[in-house]
Amino acid sequence: MRRLAPLLVLAAIFSACDRSPRIDPNRTTIAVVPKGTTHEFWKSIHAGAVKAARELDVDIVWKGPLKEDDREAQISVVENMVRLGVKGIVLAPLDETALQAPVAAAVRAKVPVVIIDSGLKGKAHSSFIATDNYKGGRMAGEYLAKLLKGRGRVVMLRYEEGSASTTAREKGFLAAMRRFPRIKVVSANQYGGATTETAYRASENLLAPLKKDGKLDVDGIFACNESTTFGMLRALQDGGFAGKVRFVGFDSSIKLVAALRNGGIDGLILQNPFQMGYLGVKTMVAKLKKKPIKARIDTGETLVTKANMDDPKVKAVLSPDLSEWIR
Amino acid sequence: MGWPVARLARLGPLLGLALVYGLFALIAPPSFTTVGTLETIARQAAIVGTASLGMTAVIIAGGIDLSVGSVVALSTVVIAALLQAGQGPVTAALGGVLAGVASGLVNGWLVTRLRMVPFIVTLGTLLIVRGAAKGLANEQKIDAPITGLNDVLAAVPPERSWQILPAGVWGMLILAVLVILLLRRTAFGRHVFAIGGNEEAARLSGIDVDAVKVWVYVLGGACGGLAGLLQFSRLTVGDPTVASGLELDVIAAVVIGGGSLSGGEGSVLGSVLGALVMTTIRCGCSQMGLANWIQEIVTGLIIVAAVALDRLRRR
Repeated sequence: MRRLAPLLVLAAIFSACDRSPRIDPNRTTIAVVPKGTTHEFWKSIHAGAVKAARELDVDIVWKGPLKEDDREAQISVVENMVRLGVKGIVLAPLDETALQAPVAAAVRAKVPVVIIDSGLKGKAHSSFIATDNYKGGRMAGEYLAKLLKGRGRVVMLRYEEGSASTTAREKGFLAAMRRFPRIKVVSANQYGGATTETAYRASENLLAPLKKDGKLDVDGIFACNESTTFGMLRALQDGGFAGKVRFVGFDSSIKLVAALRNGGIDGLILQNPFQMGYLGVKTMVAKLKKKPIKARIDTGETLVTKANMDDPKVKAVLSPDLSEWIR
Repeated sequence: MGWPVARLARLGPLLGLALVYGLFALIAPPSFTTVGTLETIARQAAIVGTASLGMTAVIIAGGIDLSVGSVVALSTVVIAALLQAGQGPVTAALGGVLAGVASGLVNGWLVTRLRMVPFIVTLGTLLIVRGAAKGLANEQKIDAPITGLNDVLAAVPPERSWQILPAGVWGMLILAVLVILLLRRTAFGRHVFAIGGNEEAARLSGIDVDAVKVWVYVLGGACGGLAGLLQFSRLTVGDPTVASGLELDVIAAVVIGGGSLSGGEGSVLGSVLGALVMTTIRCGCSQMGLANWIQEIVTGLIIVAAVALDRLRRR
């Protein structure tokens, strides 16, 4: 009997936990596979997916990779979902190449796949639903140029080499800058790296040679995602430069929104993850019902500034209330 | 205890696998008991299983190899880099395995020449090899052209259903048989057990302890390199960040399979079964739609339970 004790413990755990996502063969079940589950961004996608599932009366299984941001773990999740017998998969691929084979295998097994958030190579998937990152970067550039009245010295902090979405933002931003001959881009080749900490260090190193007599010899700054924006903000705050240069970032967080309110950040370009989750499931259901679907859907980009941040429409994107959909 | 108990104990990992599978067969959705799920489990267990073959020998010899996850990553990067440079798939695969062998040589050399504790040596090489992989890949993943290597661990296509399991899984099984023969039927194998049981006694009885240890780490590295080949097959890219923490899965597989971290004990077959146990849990939890945190707790409990049972039976 004593030897059975661990098994009893296991059995207790199994029965104690919520097993609601089990598949009901009489209903349509769709797997939604994010890149991770802890970030706010993914929670919004989850909430959007739940909203669509309720509206369309389908079930969803929300399952992220066991190790956050681990390509192998995400491949396993896609395979297991196919085995589980879901009718379709909505996937935010961690890698545009590595997820190609499992997606092709799923489609061969008659499980269609809709890609959200980040692109996937190949033609196996039915639709691609994401931000137009190039356009987002261009919007950031145009707004920064407007703040600078078309003249000045500008730096851009990149995110990571090989990241498709942020590279598109960087290209869009630089394209916008080229339209203003009196704006000079003094640095555009520095990378913030994966974490806030590395972005913070990169920002310090980027700003150090640009300091002159206690002043920053730069008029405008663009950072291309949440971690680089926050790292740059911290570096500016440390030097006492926050609010003294025009600063446009990408994505949002509680800290970035606070900085937007107190003037440390002039503008943020927002994506709409809720819409990605919502349209991802909606498009999948349309596909399963053999209705026509679009191959590419832009979920929209929003410029938020201190002036419009309390506008209800912007607020719904900036700090959406997800409690109606997920805990 | 009498011999029936001892015999039963040897069946421990097999019983464990049967229990875990049976449990999920009862409570998981019907999709869990399909042949397709079995194939998925076999494919997902192949990487940890292959790496655990070498780890079993290392652990039997009283050592440990924490660098194996990094070796897997390095191997995927070397393979992708060679393919990208226009080399054929065979050369690329050999390159990956050789990268593993080289890492194993470094581990073995440091452990024997500097008389350092394997835990510390391989904790160091865990970082060194990971760093080398990232440096070689220029801190990005490397995209490689599609070759036959990508089919090694891919699902078996319908037109080749006679194959039942993908080549990578068969490769792991054949390699397992070879390592079993090496450990159970050769003088080298007896030396490995002797060193793990009592290193001083082994030295006094004339065994070249250092040479045996170096070979054991080379075997560990080679298996890591092969696991990297399987990993590359699944990813189709060289990824310097992949398999971080894999060493713990591999060590857990060996321990569930009856390996003792104090050396002298371990079973290759047990380790493969251990890898299957962990993959079965993962697959079962996933199909039940359990949250990841529950899955991690369950895997941890199974590891503790497996070792606890092992200790009980030795009393």
